[in-house]
Amino acid sequence: MTWRPVGLTRDVPAGRVMRAWVDGQDAVVWRSTRGVLSAWDNRCPHRGMALSHGFVRGEDLACLYHGWHYGAEGGVCSLIPSHPDLTPPDTIKTRAFQSAESDGVIWVRLEGSPDLAPPAIAPGLDPLRSFEIRAREGDIAHGAAAKPFEPAILSLLFNPIAHDRTLVTVLIDAQATSDQRKLASRWCEDVRREVEA
Amino acid sequence: MSAAFTLYDYVLSGNCYKIRLFASLLAMPYQSVAIDFYPGYEHRSERMLSLNPAGTLPVMVTSAGGQVLTETNAMLAWMALHDGGAQTPWFPAVDPALGPQVQQGLAFGAGLTDSIGLARLHAMLDWPVDGEAAKRAGLKHLRALELHLTDRQIDGGLWWAGAHPTIADLACFPYVALSPDAGLEHDGFPAIRRWLYAVRSLPGFATMPGIHPLHELR
Repeated sequence: MTWRPVGLTRDVPAGRVMRAWVDGQDAVVWRSTRGVLSAWDNRCPHRGMALSHGFVRGEDLACLYHGWHYGAEGGVCSLIPSHPDLTPPDTIKTRAFQSAESDGVIWVRLEGSPDLAPPAIAPGLDPLRSFEIRAREGDIAHGAAAKPFEPAILSLLFNPIAHDRTLVTVLIDAQATSDQRKLASRWCEDVRREVEA
Repeated sequence: MSAAFTLYDYVLSGNCYKIRLFASLLAMPYQSVAIDFYPGYEHRSERMLSLNPAGTLPVMVTSAGGQVLTETNAMLAWMALHDGGAQTPWFPAVDPALGPQVQQGLAFGAGLTDSIGLARLHAMLDWPVDGEAAKRAGLKHLRALELHLTDRQIDGGLWWAGAHPTIADLACFPYVALSPDAGLEHDGFPAIRRWLYAVRSLPGFATMPGIHPLHELR
């Protein structure tokens, strides 16, 4: 399976939860209080509630529905609030995916050899923003190429999140000024408007 | 402490929640009168129409002077000024840089009522409007807000304008936070998520159905 860029490191600080799509798989991406990043099946094994609605409690992610806790290390259930005296068996666990971070980008893949790192990004780039376009990757790449951004070097990463929706992650020359970054952010909107039209 | 105002209120209304939230942040006491918006349509009763001919909620009646305010942004302004006078950080009305920015956010927030707010009424109460059109307008608004908040992030800012939250943030917060009720998720909007989290982190934050507290470690 391929590593997919699901968002920016900056956008998932400690204690925050995000939903992501990886090769058609609904996933929850979250970071524990100590900073451990995890990517799991976005489904509480108890009643199927989306864990992306849940909240971080220390090194656990707690489901919004009935508060079952799952630990950052391995996704094993550690607490069932309605049975406080019960030590949950290790067999109650979420399905964990691989996650990695490099150059400010969060990558997730469903499976694969653990020693194969995510693709390297050209040096000297800063993450700018990630946003959704209701179009396919090929059409977006085509639209972006037809409308080159002059003020600074940009690099685009694509994650297909549905047959007609793509998450685009944009990186910009680390030397770019604030004004250039804002222009690049508007350029993203221009490309989207054109590609979706 | 005596009530600063009376609020004619409906618990599921995002506009009413703006006032409840700001009162909670300011620790400003008020008296609430629950109005049966649905299914009773009490906001269109003779009693309510004589108070507010427009038939909208919320309605605020100030305790001192008995001013009747029917526009949510005007209520937010009144509360900020009542609390902190002209120096209130919540409404830097005459600051040459921030004042116009706050007005921009207040108008943007009011516009959300007719996009996300309407789409939500359609989704929740089957309001007889074009729900899809309202939802498309809501998506446009979310994208515009994401762009604005990305600009703010590039400048090292967190709030709609300036270094302190203002009534512009509160005017925008409820319907953006409630947009999943209308099927508009926050997944593709990282800057919005960051800002929503910041508002929910404010001391004195109040919730409403659909807007949860931040769960601290217990």
